[in-house]
Amino acid sequence: MRVLIIEDDHEVSSYIRQGLIQAGWNVDVADNGKDGLLMATTEQYDALIVDRMLPGVEGLALIRTLRASDNETPALVLSALGEVDDRVKGLQAGGDDYLVKPFAFSELLARLEALIRRAKSAGSQHETTLSLADLEIDLLKREVHRGGRKIDLQPREFQLLEFLLRHAGQVVTRTMLLEGVWNYHFDPQTNVIDVHISRLRGKIDKGFDKPLLHTVRGAGYRLST
Amino acid sequence: MRLPAIIRTSVFQLTILYVGLFGVSVATLGWFIYRSTVGYLENQTDEVIEAEINGLAEQFFQLQRERGLEGGVRGLAQIIQSRRERTGTAGERFSYLLIDQNLRPLAGNLNRWPAPSDMVEGWIEFSVPDPNAADAQVPVRARILPIRPFELTGIRVLVGREIRELEQINDRFLRALTLGLGLTMLLALGGGLALAFSAQRHVAELSRTTRRIIAGDLSQRVPVGGAHDEHAELARSVNTMLDQIENLMAGLRHVGDSIAHDLRGPLTRLRNRLENLSDEDTPSRASIAECLAQADRVLATFNALLRIARIESGAYRKAFATIDLGPIVDDIADLYEATAEDKLVELRRKTIDDAFVFGDRELLAQALTNLLDNAVKHTPPGGHIDLELRRHEGTIHLVVADSGPGVPAESRERVLQRFARLDESRSTPGSGLGLALVRAVADQHDAKLVLTDNGPGLRVTLTLPATGSPRAES
Repeated sequence: MRVLIIEDDHEVSSYIRQGLIQAGWNVDVADNGKDGLLMATTEQYDALIVDRMLPGVEGLALIRTLRASDNETPALVLSALGEVDDRVKGLQAGGDDYLVKPFAFSELLARLEALIRRAKSAGSQHETTLSLADLEIDLLKREVHRGGRKIDLQPREFQLLEFLLRHAGQVVTRTMLLEGVWNYHFDPQTNVIDVHISRLRGKIDKGFDKPLLHTVRGAGYRLST
Repeated sequence: MRLPAIIRTSVFQLTILYVGLFGVSVATLGWFIYRSTVGYLENQTDEVIEAEINGLAEQFFQLQRERGLEGGVRGLAQIIQSRRERTGTAGERFSYLLIDQNLRPLAGNLNRWPAPSDMVEGWIEFSVPDPNAADAQVPVRARILPIRPFELTGIRVLVGREIRELEQINDRFLRALTLGLGLTMLLALGGGLALAFSAQRHVAELSRTTRRIIAGDLSQRVPVGGAHDEHAELARSVNTMLDQIENLMAGLRHVGDSIAHDLRGPLTRLRNRLENLSDEDTPSRASIAECLAQADRVLATFNALLRIARIESGAYRKAFATIDLGPIVDDIADLYEATAEDKLVELRRKTIDDAFVFGDRELLAQALTNLLDNAVKHTPPGGHIDLELRRHEGTIHLVVADSGPGVPAESRERVLQRFARLDESRSTPGSGLGLALVRAVADQHDAKLVLTDNGPGLRVTLTLPATGSPRAES
C-alpha cells in the first residue's frame, strides 16, 4: 500500500508515517499544499491523508482540484476543527472520510484500510450476498446462515453484521460503527456499542468452533477467520 | 487634584464653551436694552433741541417779514438774549449762540463758536464750564442751524442742552452691564468648575477601581454613595458587571482546578505504568493496551471539554434545521436497550409523531445519549427508565426518568456544571461532563433543562419549543 501524507505539522506527519511504516506501508510526506498537489497528480497512491489547514493550497481546495481532474484516489481529511459542519464541508469537497485531531492511530489505520478497500471494490458494490468462511448473509432476503444453520438477527444486528462483513479483515472502531450503523457522528464514550457486539457475537459465534468476531484491544473489532 | 488635569476634562472644556456662549448672549441682550433706553433718552433731548431751534427760526422769519433782514437779526438776537438763562425740566441748562459770517457772536451765553468754522448745519457735542463747581465741565449736545437764505443772512444759530443726566445714565448703564456680564461669567465658570470637579471625581474613582482590578484585585468595587443619580447608577452597573466577571472567573478557576484534578490522576497513573514498563525488557501487550486506554480516557475528557466549548460558542446554530425528535429518541433508545437489558433495567419508551423542533440532530442525539447513559448507570437492577416524548402547549417535552437514587434538590443546579459530581471525591466513574454537555445543548436550542424528583429517582425534562413540520413550512 502506498499513501501520501499532506500535513504541515511535522509531529503529526511523522507520527502517522512511523505507524504506517510499521504496518508495512509505503509512505510519502508533503508538508505544504503545493507539493502535495504535485505529488498526488504525478504519482500513483492508494490513499491520501490531507490536513485541512495547509500552507500553499488549502486541504479541501486540493481535494477539489484533484477530483476536478478525475483523480479519484481516496482521501482522508484530517482536521482540528472537527465538528459536524466541517465534516460536511470536507465530504462535499470530495473527501472520502473525515477524522478529527487528536485521534488514535488505530482509528486512522482502520479508516484508511476501509477507504482503500471501498475504492477497490467500487465496481462490485451491488452484490446481494456477503460471506466470510462459513458465515453468509443474503442482503435481499435479510437472512443470515452460518454452517448451513439459519441465525435470527434483529434488524439492527443485521445492519451491524453487514457493516462488519463489508469491512471483513479490517479493524472497525466504535465510532465507525456508530457512524455506519446508527448514522450518528459523535464519540459514544461508553460501552453501548460493545453490548451490541457481544449480543451479535452470542448469535453468530456461539456454538461454533472458530470465532469470527474478534475484539481488537484499544481499537475496536474485526470480523475475520 | 492638579488644575491642568481639570482643564483637560471634557466637562471643563464644555463649560468654557458654555460660559463663552452665555457671555455673548448676555452682552447682546444688555446692549439691546442699553441702546433702546439710552437711545430713547437721546431722542427726547434731540427733539427738545430741534423744537427750540425751529421755534427760533420761525420767530426770525416772522420778524424778518415785519422788519426786514437786519431787523429780523436784531429781533432774533434779543429773543436769544432773553432766553439765555432758560433751563429744562430736569434743571439742565440751555446753551445759545447766534453768530454772523465772521463767527462773531451776536447773542447767546457761549463766548465762542464750539464747532468747526465751516460747519453750517448738524449736531455736535462739546462741554461747557460747570457754574456750580469750579474746573468741572458739563457735556452739552447742540444743533447748528443756518438762517436761510444763508448766502444772504450769513448767520447761524446754535441751540444746545446739557446732557449731564444722559451721560450719567449712560455711564451707569455701561458699568452695570460690564459688572453684570463679569458676574455672570464668573458664576458660570464657577458652576462649570464645580461640575467638572464632580464629574472628574466620579471618573477618577471609577478609573482608580479599574486600575486596582487590572492590578489583580477582583474584589474591588466602585463606591456607589447614597445618591440615586446617574453616577450611582453607573457605579451600580459597573459593580454588577464586576460581580458577574468575578463569578465567571471563579467558575473558570473551578473548571481549571477540576481539569487539573481530573487529568492529573489519570496522567500520573499513566506515567507510573509507563515507568514500570520501561523497566521491563519485554512489556506485555496487555499493559501497553492499558496505558493506551488510560491515555484515551484523558483524551476523551479533553474532547468532551472542547466539544462543550464548541457547542457553547454557537457554532452549530447556523446548521440548525427542523427535525423530528421521534426517530432520534427511537435510535438512541435502540442503542441503549441492550445495555439496559444486560443490567436488568427496563427501558420504557413512549414517543409521539411529528415532534418537530428546530435544532441539530447530532447534538440532540448526544444529549439524549448522555441522559440515558446516566440513567442506566444509576438505576439499580430491577429498576426502570422511562423515555418519553410529550407535546405540551407549543413545546415538546423530552423526559428521561429513572428509578435510581436521584439527586438531592440542593444539588440539582450544581450537577449541570462541568466536572460537578454528587460524590466530590470523584470515585465514581464518568467524566463529570455529561450533564454539562446536555445543558450546553439545551441552551443552544433555547430549551429548558429541569431536574425533578421522580420519587424515587431523577426525572430530567428537556422542554424544547415546538415548530411546524418542515413540509408545512415550505
